[in-house]
Amino acid sequence: MVDVHLDPDVLSGLQEVMEGEYPKLLETFLDDSQKRIEALRTARDDAKALGKIAHSFKGSSGNLGAVRLAQLCERLELESGEPTANLEALVDQIDHEFAVVKPLYESERQRFQV
Amino acid sequence: MSVESVVSPDGKKLTIVIKGRFDFSSHQLFRDAYERFYKAPDTYIVDLKDTTYLDSSALGMLLLLRDHAGGDESEVRVINSNSDVRKILAISNFDKLFDIN
Amino acid sequence: MSALAPAHEALTILIADDSATDLLLLSTIVRRQGHQVLTAANGREAVEVFTRARPQLVLMDALMPVMDGFEAARWIKQLSGEALVPIIFLTSLTDSADLAECLDAGGDDFLAKPYNPLLLAAKINAMDRLRRLQATVLQQRDLIAKHNDYLLHEQRVAKAVFDKVAHSGCINAAPNIRYLQSPYALFNGDLLLAAYTPSGDMHVLLGDFTGHGLPAAVGAMPLAEVFYGMTAKGYGLTQILREMNAKLKRILPVDMFCCATLLCLSTDRRVVEVWNGGMPEGYVLEVTTGKRTPLASRHLPLGVLSAELFDDRTEVWPVALGDRVFLLSDGVLETADANDRLFGVERLQQVFDANREPDRLFDDIEQALVAFRGEARDDVSMVEITLRSGLATRATGPLYADSGQSCPRDWSVNFEFRAETLKRYNPLPYLLQLLLEIHGLRAQSGALYSVMAELYSNALEHGVLGLDSLLKRDAQGFAEYYRQRNERLAQLDSGYVRVQVQVVPNGAGGTMTLRIEDSGPGFDVEKVLAQPMDIDRLSGRGLGLVRQLSRDIRWSDGGRCVCVEFSWEALA
Repeated sequence: MVDVHLDPDVLSGLQEVMEGEYPKLLETFLDDSQKRIEALRTARDDAKALGKIAHSFKGSSGNLGAVRLAQLCERLELESGEPTANLEALVDQIDHEFAVVKPLYESERQRFQV
Repeated sequence: MSVESVVSPDGKKLTIVIKGRFDFSSHQLFRDAYERFYKAPDTYIVDLKDTTYLDSSALGMLLLLRDHAGGDESEVRVINSNSDVRKILAISNFDKLFDIN
Repeated sequence: MSALAPAHEALTILIADDSATDLLLLSTIVRRQGHQVLTAANGREAVEVFTRARPQLVLMDALMPVMDGFEAARWIKQLSGEALVPIIFLTSLTDSADLAECLDAGGDDFLAKPYNPLLLAAKINAMDRLRRLQATVLQQRDLIAKHNDYLLHEQRVAKAVFDKVAHSGCINAAPNIRYLQSPYALFNGDLLLAAYTPSGDMHVLLGDFTGHGLPAAVGAMPLAEVFYGMTAKGYGLTQILREMNAKLKRILPVDMFCCATLLCLSTDRRVVEVWNGGMPEGYVLEVTTGKRTPLASRHLPLGVLSAELFDDRTEVWPVALGDRVFLLSDGVLETADANDRLFGVERLQQVFDANREPDRLFDDIEQALVAFRGEARDDVSMVEITLRSGLATRATGPLYADSGQSCPRDWSVNFEFRAETLKRYNPLPYLLQLLLEIHGLRAQSGALYSVMAELYSNALEHGVLGLDSLLKRDAQGFAEYYRQRNERLAQLDSGYVRVQVQVVPNGAGGTMTLRIEDSGPGFDVEKVLAQPMDIDRLSGRGLGLVRQLSRDIRWSDGGRCVCVEFSWEALA
């Protein structure tokens, strides 16, 4: 698996579509995602809840080009259905990946803020 | 359902061939088949070889053709009718107006 | 942005997604494509916004809290009723079962995440096409329904007018007629009329106009007026046929005509006179022998030939008491079963052959049709007329309120009808109208007409044409008699029938003497009168009838001249 954290083509696509609203989108995503990370922690062992949050998170991170993050969320979503899976480890990985991409989005936002 | 018209080389005979059901829906096609010839033929032939069905609207259309062709002075022949079509023409005694065979 | 612009008009689009990020992204994309955007963060909000703002298209996330996209979609589909509000599901679901659930819930399409703006624009346009198609379909359907209602209304009005014209008939009142006809027969072009002549004969017309709907119904009215008017005045079939044909030829377009069977059934004279132009054959059923005489179509339908070419020749057949005449429209023969096979003439003949009780024959035919088709057909017309005695119903002329003060009381008139006139003119209706000027005679108009018709017919047929009434002893003889009659009449170049009417007052009432004289050789009056009045014999000179109906009948001049009297008292 190639480790792509942030797909630059997706970002430039979003730039084109959002135009002046691009920074707002990035900010909304960061806000949203922070809330999701916390929700994952709170959910603990509730596999069903974890699956739902992961599904949602997968969607938005995919839209914003955070490829590896999206992949991890997909794995969590799928494995939340397995009784023997180690979901806590996956949550940790997601947490970690977000910590990696967060500063990348922030600097991207800086670049476009006037 | 189709209507085709064929003119003889000397322009004196017009043959109209009707395939399928000869009924109310054939009205416009049938009229077009003879109305668009500006040089009026002397004889009209209606060929019913492939006509599967004939109703009273078709009889009405034959009357229109006869009227167009000169009424009592007209020469309109109806050929190749199958036995069902013949029966319908016979009951309405249209053989008194048209040459039918 | 031209590739993304809406193909038609800007829409109001509702976007429901619980992810703020995705909602922002999508709203921006859609707004930039030129549409107006409404948003919702869950299923319930989506339904509320939809109810309030009625957007034209919905982008719906599948998995949302409070109420998910599937349930919201079901609600929205229900709320939108007949109109199409396309719902595009937004989903990163990949399982086919899940995607199928989107469509089952009422979704019309789905869009996968991550969003592709070009694809989204294309899908929005495609869904909008469908939406507009549905709207057009509904609009046209409503227009068609409105037109249809209007047409039905027109037909109801036409039928009401026609019923008023047709009310003077006896089709429902006569006890010896049975018929089957759809209440909307008129709009299938089917016509059934019946009326009594002044002498108590019955005229029946079964007709079938070309076409359907109002054009067919419209031809029926002038035809009915001629039929009733002339029948009531005493005109014969020949004259009525000529008038009906001429009228239809004049008023109908070239391609419209009326197939018809017209008959006159005379209980007094025990004959049925028939003219059939284009209708399926009718039948005369002889009850004693079971013999069926077909009444075949020998003429072109009414309204086709000009007056000069019209053939008014009728056929005359003898009938006895209890005999029946059947007429049917082609709806009977064309009744089809599930495999499109037609009932046809053979099956009808089988029903006739199998029948044991003449009274049940009408029912047998009806039942055979239902059994064949599986249900009743609504354009079948069938009529059965039975020859019965004792029906002394005669058409009565109009009665006036004034007590005869203004009528002619003392007068006479002489007519002489010569060869050329005898050939082509029936003077009886005119003479009857003349005599009905005498108010006191109106109550006896039926008897008057019968007597006049009988005596005139004798004078013409036996006197002038020299026909032998003994010929009319059987069916073959009948045919021969009428053939000779037509032949001799066509060749007639001399001879006359003289009619004299003499009216004198008698107290407050009066007496009318009718004298009819012919140019023939006369006959042996005593010998004929000596014969017993054999009312079951096919025919005689109808003298029995005349003697029954009138007062004081006298012959003179070797049988060439006959006189009858009719009297009346003062009117109340």
